[in-house]
Amino acid sequence: MNNLNNKVQLIGRIGTDIEVRKFDSGNMKASFRMATSETYKDAQGNKQEETQWHNIIAWGKLAEILEKYTQKGAEIMIEGKLTYRSWEPKEGEKKYITEIETRDLRLMGGAPKTQNESQSVVNEAIADDGLPF
Amino acid sequence: MYALKNKVQLIGNIGNAPEIKEVTGGKKVANFSLATNEVWKDANGEKQTETQWHRLVAWGKLAELVEKYTTKGSEIMIEGKLINRSYVDKNNETKYITEIEVRELLLMGSAQKSA
Repeated sequence: MNNLNNKVQLIGRIGTDIEVRKFDSGNMKASFRMATSETYKDAQGNKQEETQWHNIIAWGKLAEILEKYTQKGAEIMIEGKLTYRSWEPKEGEKKYITEIETRDLRLMGGAPKTQNESQSVVNEAIADDGLPF
Repeated sequence: MYALKNKVQLIGNIGNAPEIKEVTGGKKVANFSLATNEVWKDANGEKQTETQWHRLVAWGKLAELVEKYTTKGSEIMIEGKLINRSYVDKNNETKYITEIEVRELLLMGSAQKSA
């Protein structure tokens, strides 16, 4: 029931390095940003691309999988829930952040390749234009 | 196809009276907030509730439906996409906000009664 109330599904590419934090309790948290893109033709018939950036977090086993099998540039599908939190920095105004907490994860297309192989593909893509997509 | 790439589904209650605006061309836009609840039992068997507040935006026909059939407290289900955008405020600071743009709307139980 809780899953139906608040459910997000995204398919896109990991756009940052995966930041992993390990806690004394043995729990693990992974956080990264992910891009989803939508292409459409504008009134003049030109192809336009709109990219949305999302903040993603994952705990435990999911964080382990992300650390082991994915990296910047990898295409993934996630299912999770929308969460919002805020914090007070030492200076300045209160900050707000929206995050998607992963419940389920699927590695897409490029992912099953061996780590070195896919890593080199990603590096080439990054060398080309700074961003892997 | 894009509905698969960026898809949000929420079931909850509207938290404020939807704010309806008309933009150039007569198209309507509705801005409102939606609360979703997650309920679970903690280690002591006590019921716990966690509420998330979402910012929603609906355009055109959907905005008209929101205006006509919903009010503060209405229970609705929506399907839409996540939009993260930024703007510069009066103090020249960049603010980031997350919105869900509604693609589909369903009035649930209590909403239909009151309408």
